[in-house]
Order: sequence, then C-alpha cells, then structure tokens
Amino acid sequence: MDALWTLYRQRLRRDRWQVIVWVLSIGMLALFAVAAIAKTFGDDATRAQVLQLATAAPAILVLRGLPRGPALDSFTFFEIFAFLGVLAGLMNTFMAVRHTRAEEESGRAEIISATAAGRWAPLGATVLHGAVANVLVSVATALGFMAGGLDPAGSLVAGFATGAVGFAFLGVGLLASEFLSTSRGANGISSALVMIAYLLRGFGDATGQVSSDGTTMTAAWPSWISPIGWGQQTFAYTGNRWWPLLLPLALWAVCAAVVVAIMARRDVGASVLAGRSGRADARPWLRGSFSLALRLQQGAIIGWCIGGFATGLLTGSLGSAIQSSITSNPQITAVLRGMIEAQGTSMTQLLVAALFEVAGILAAACGLQAVLRLRQEEVAGTAEPVVSESVGRMRWLGSFLGLGAVSVVLVMAFTALGAWVSLTASGDTSSAVGDVWQTAVDQLPAALIYLALPAAVFVVWPRATIPAGWALLGVGVVLGIYGGMLGLDQKLRDLSPFTHSPVTTSIGTDWSGGFWMLGIAAVITAFSLVAVRRREVGTA
Amino acid sequence: MFVIMDAVIQTIDLHKNFGRVKALDGLDLEVNAGEIHGFLGPNGAGKTTTLRILLGLARASSGSATVLGRHPWADAVELHRRVASIPGDVSLWPNLSGGEAIDLLSRLRDGSVDQATYKKRKHHLCELFDFDPSKKGRAYSKGNRQKVALIAALVMDAELYLLDEPTSGLDPLMEAVFTREIRRIVHENGATVLLSSHILSEVEQLADRVSIIRAGRIVDGGTLDALRHLTRTEISFAQDSVDTHALDTLPLVHDLTVADGRVKFGAESDRVHEVLPLLGTLGVKGLLVAPPSLEELFLRHYGDTVAPPAPQAADDGGTHHRRHRAAAAGA
Repeated sequence: MDALWTLYRQRLRRDRWQVIVWVLSIGMLALFAVAAIAKTFGDDATRAQVLQLATAAPAILVLRGLPRGPALDSFTFFEIFAFLGVLAGLMNTFMAVRHTRAEEESGRAEIISATAAGRWAPLGATVLHGAVANVLVSVATALGFMAGGLDPAGSLVAGFATGAVGFAFLGVGLLASEFLSTSRGANGISSALVMIAYLLRGFGDATGQVSSDGTTMTAAWPSWISPIGWGQQTFAYTGNRWWPLLLPLALWAVCAAVVVAIMARRDVGASVLAGRSGRADARPWLRGSFSLALRLQQGAIIGWCIGGFATGLLTGSLGSAIQSSITSNPQITAVLRGMIEAQGTSMTQLLVAALFEVAGILAAACGLQAVLRLRQEEVAGTAEPVVSESVGRMRWLGSFLGLGAVSVVLVMAFTALGAWVSLTASGDTSSAVGDVWQTAVDQLPAALIYLALPAAVFVVWPRATIPAGWALLGVGVVLGIYGGMLGLDQKLRDLSPFTHSPVTTSIGTDWSGGFWMLGIAAVITAFSLVAVRRREVGTA
Repeated sequence: MFVIMDAVIQTIDLHKNFGRVKALDGLDLEVNAGEIHGFLGPNGAGKTTTLRILLGLARASSGSATVLGRHPWADAVELHRRVASIPGDVSLWPNLSGGEAIDLLSRLRDGSVDQATYKKRKHHLCELFDFDPSKKGRAYSKGNRQKVALIAALVMDAELYLLDEPTSGLDPLMEAVFTREIRRIVHENGATVLLSSHILSEVEQLADRVSIIRAGRIVDGGTLDALRHLTRTEISFAQDSVDTHALDTLPLVHDLTVADGRVKFGAESDRVHEVLPLLGTLGVKGLLVAPPSLEELFLRHYGDTVAPPAPQAADDGGTHHRRHRAAAAGA
C-alpha cells in the first residue's frame, strides 16, 4: 500500500499541470458551450428549427450528437457531449500510455519494479490516478453545465457520463500498452480508437430514427458499440438514465482483466506484439535528411493515411445510408430535406464538406508530427550526428517541412480516394462525386499552416514545440470547426486556420482564404528556414 | 568442488528464450552469503537477463531460481525490500530532479525508513559522488544518471545488492569511490553482492569469487585464487646472453619466446617457485613476474571470438594490458 500511495503521488507530481489543464479545459468548454448556445439559439422555437434541419440533413449530426428535444439543456448536451467525450478519451489514453508503456520503453519501469513496488503497484497507481482524474473531469463538467444555469440533476448525469467515457478509454489505453512495444504505437492506436468511437456514434446518430416532430432521434446500432455513444444514451436532462454508464465501466473492467492476465505472464518491458527486428543494411534510398525524415515518419504517415481513407469511406457509405432512409422519414423531415436539395446542395455534398473538415484535422496532425519529430530528434540527441554531418540546419529543417507537406497531401488524397470509392460503389451520380477531389484540396492550406507555425516555434522557443504544437491544433479545431455550433464570436473563430478553408459548393469555390493562408505559411516557413541558421542545435 | 554454505542466490538449469533466441541456456549460478561475486561476460552473454530474472522483472522459461530462499517472480515485492539493485542504463523522469528520483526510489523500497538518518546518508553520498541532486532529470549526463541509481541503492542497507555494470559512464575517480562503498557495505553489514561486469579490473579488485558466463551458461567459476591456479604467471627477463635451453626443457614452462631483447614464458602459477632457483643460477637481469589476471582467463574463454587461436591471444592480452600490475622480483 505504501508503494501504491508513493507512486500515486509521483504520478500527481508529474502530471499536476497536465491534469489541471485537461480538467479545466473540459469544464470550461462545458460552461462556455451553455453560454454560447443560450446566446445564439435563444428560445425553444429557434432550437427546434435547428434540430429539424439537423434531422433532415443528418450529415450535421455526425459532428454533433443525438437530438433529444429543443430545451436549452438537452440541446447543449446534443451539441457538445460527443466532443467532451473525445477530449476525456484522449486525456485518458495519453495518461494510461504515459504511465505504463512509455515508462517501460524508457527503462524507468525497470528501476521502479526492482523496488518493493514490484510489477503491480505501478499499474494500480495508474488506475487510481486515472480514476481520480475522471472524477475531477466529471465534477468539472457538471459544474460547468450547472454554472451555465442548466438543471443540476441532468448536469450530474452529463458530467459523470463524460468521466465514465474517459474511464473506459483509460482501460483502452492500458490495453494498447500491453500490446504495443512503443509508447508512440500505443498512443497512436488508442487515440485512433477514440476517433473511431466518435465516428461510430456519428454513423449511428445520423442513421437513427427521427420522431414525428423532427426534434428527437433514437440512435441506430453503431452508436451502441461506441463508449461515446453509451454516454449519449444517458439522455441527460430529458431522461437522466444512469444505467448506460455501466457499459463504459464494464468495458474498463474487461480491458483491466485482460491487462492483468497479460501482465501476470510477461516480462517487464515486453509486449504482446513484439517489436520487429530491423534491417541489417539500410535501403539504398536512405541517404539524406529528407529520406531520414521519411524513414522516421513512415509509420505515422501510413497510420494517418489509413485514418483519412477510413474517413473517406465513411463519408461515402453514410451518404448512401442517409439517401436510402429518406422514404421512411416523417413528413416534416421530408419537406425540409426537399427544401435543402432545392437550393442545389445534395446530402452527399453536405457530408463531404463536414467530414473532410475532420480529415483536414488528421492531415494537419500528420504534418504537425513531422515538425514535432524535429524536436524529439533534438532531445534524443539523434539530431546532432545528422547536423554535424554534411547536412546544414536549414536543409535539415527544410527536409522535415518538405516531408510534412508531402504527408499532408497524401492524407487528403487518401481521404478523397476513400470517399470516391465508396460513393462510386454506392451508385451516387451527383456532382458531389467529382467534388471530393476539389474538397480535399480545400483542406490543404489550413494544414500547411500547422507545418509553418510549429516550425517557427521550434526555431524560436524549442522547449515549447511539442505542447505548443498540439495546443495550437486543439485551439484551431475548437474555434474553427466547433466554433460555429457553439455560436462563438466570428472574430474569435477567425483566429483558426480551419475557419478560412475554402468551401466547395455547387456554385464553385472561393479560394481567397486559401491563398491568404498559403501566403502566410510561405512567409513563416521562410522566416523559420532563415532563423534556424542562427539557432544552436542542442538538447536544452 | 565448493561446499555451498548458505546460497543467497541459486539458479539451477535456468533457461530463458526470446522467441528462438536462447538468452539463457541452462545457467547454474550460486552466490554465497557475505561474498562479492563477480559475474563476467561480454555483451549479449546473458548477464542482464540473469539479473532481471533474479529481480523478478523477467520470468524464466524453465529451471529454478531462488533469491534469499524465495521465488524471485512470485515473491518479488517481499524480496525487493531486502534487495537493492542498479541497472546498467539509468533513465530518469525529465521533470523530476535527481534528488526527487532518489527519494522516490528509496521510499518505494522501504517507506518506513528513519527520515533523519536517511537524509544524512543521502547528503553524505551526494557529496561522496560529487552529485548535484537539484538538477532536473533531463539535464543529467550519463554518468550523473548512473549516480542517481548508485545513491538510491546505497542510501539504505540491503541484504543483497544486484549490480548490472554499475560503473558504466563513471569516471575513474568515481569508480574508486564506488569500489570503496561496496567494500564498506560488505564488511560493515555483511551484505552479499552480485556484480555483473565486463570490466575486469573492477571485478578483480572487488570480487571474492567469479562466474564467467558465455552464451547463456556458466563456463568457469570459483574463487579468484583457485582460478589463478589454473592460469599461468608470466615471467620475462632481459635476453643478454642467457642460455635459455635449460628453461625450455622444464615441463612447467610454456610458450617460451624471445623478442625485442627479452625472454618471455608462462609458468604454471602454483609452481612458479620451482622455476625461480633456475633463474637465479642463470643470473637473469630485469626480471618481471606478472601475476595471472582475470583478463587472461576471460580471453581464454572468449579468445576464439576475439582473435584465434585462443591461447596465443590470451597470453598477448595478458602482457600488454597488465604490465602496470607486474611485480619486479630479484633472484
């Protein structure tokens, strides 16, 4: 018990700022959502209209949630819960991996397990740490909603639904850490599972049954295989059901049981999927800083491309699923849908526009990782031998930025390919099929900003590179992609590159924002390339 | 050959497989109470794997291992209160200071330690090892990270110390401090030490007994004295005009060579006294008698992988690197 307590305190000590930032951001987002929604969608009538529009064009539901009536509290839950679930999920998967696989990978777990802490106390302390953090998330979310003036009982349900989703993903992260030999791999797999949970419930929500007044929906089965979907099933404020939260707890328990079974058998530092041994000789193309960057990032690029391709496939299949459900829809939805389509925008186009924004985040993250790799190389000391060879610092930085740009293009290309394949296979003949390529290109400028900006941070303030990189992306996503549904001020939303991404409609594409962003990215990149020559390469 | 009194560590026919790779292939190791036991072998011979099994960090594929009479995997937690260890490669938490890391590791080993005594000893060891405990983990060099593990292991008493190449990255001055501290814990507390190393001088200075591991099995072992009996003492003197014929015919003289104006041969270590009278009658000058070294023993077992043929390589290695230890003797 002593060891458990000591290790728990050590986790708190290591994570104090991280946990505080995560909990406060999630709680503030809840509060903020209520305030913004109350301001933008003032009364029940307005909100009912929005919901009717959403159920008529369910593409919108993918990024939001399950409509459960037009009251302010249930409407807020509908708008923001899935996103809160993603945040709680990511907080937990990163936390689980940071204290298990990352510790084993670095060899620190070895030193700890050689003490009386043994092999089990570190796992116990990580679970305790996660449990406490999730209770904090639950309380912060509930307080955020209550402070916004929502019903306290429902706010508690919504808060603990967020925490329970997080706790399920703590189990997922622990399980991924048993299987993968690197923390990079375990983080990649488990955050991909968070995104899959988000998209699964999006699929289920968009293809659910609409009630006669068009403001309430019952989710289809895909929502029932997603932890975030389980959280939505609490019907906070309208139903206040606690029992669906048993499902995420059960998922956690199953993951924990498997983790214990594996740990009872394996060596400290070992993993179920053994790291493959590498090549004895380098491939002939590995002969410069660009090819080194490619060699280092190839796994990540392949992973993000698969993510993009899956998003594309989902776009297409969801499009046809929505099209085919039109006949069974209530009157009001059918009328609305007719109106939308009369304006020249097809359901598929709406979907492509909405989901390609998500793919744009994937592409930006993939490019961002190439820049973050520079910093990781520098800290690990592997940058030094490269830069002390014939590679100048400018070329070194340029190579990674070049690779980042290539990977951004690749992710979007695979997204478009996925959408094109599934749309063509479903027999969709609308103009949206041809538009997927244009829509994919639309996402590139914003993603390129996420190469240039972190590169400048890397040059000017190296230590901040990694946290600033992810923070910039997170803020950009909240402001640019969720800003609209939160009813944020346009000036605030304009800060996000994603706000300025060109949008392809049946009329055409306005590329002015895109050109501006390309210009800004070029200027910042040029600055970074020049400034890096005046910067030391070290580990500080 | 040896009567085992109280074996603190005993492994019988220990195997450990990683896929098809046999890291340990029937390892029999015995370490007695109160001794410093050298565990010698090159990289990849299975030293670290053995220590990890003894620490319960890895599980043996087959065979048995007991540490202080307990099972290292099943009783890991109870055992670790009595065992201190130092890994060969120390990694620290980037945002925890070295002092914090030492405190954490000590608390995990035994939370009920007396605070005042602990602080005094920690402070003393930090001074001894010239270590600044207030820097953050990411700022330490390899040697300083190693010091964190050394101090954490030495700051509290243990019955058994499992040390895996503990001085890697330390400068010679710090190595000397380490050697002194290890002697102290053995003499003052009667602790037992298993010292894995490929640095022969370190083992030679400290160890009472050694085991030599090769490809996952113990290939030789015993007290340093016993091992020295199996090796040859190297004797050399100025050639001048000495007639070496009489020496050459003695059965205890081996590999007599004349090079660079010196006569050189190896004599069986326990029969050196038989050759000395003859050297006296020959009236040799500039006599050097080099005692057998572990290095020679080591190279005999590994020589074929270094430079075949083995015996030749062994002799060469013995001369060139150990000359400073050679004892001059008048006839």
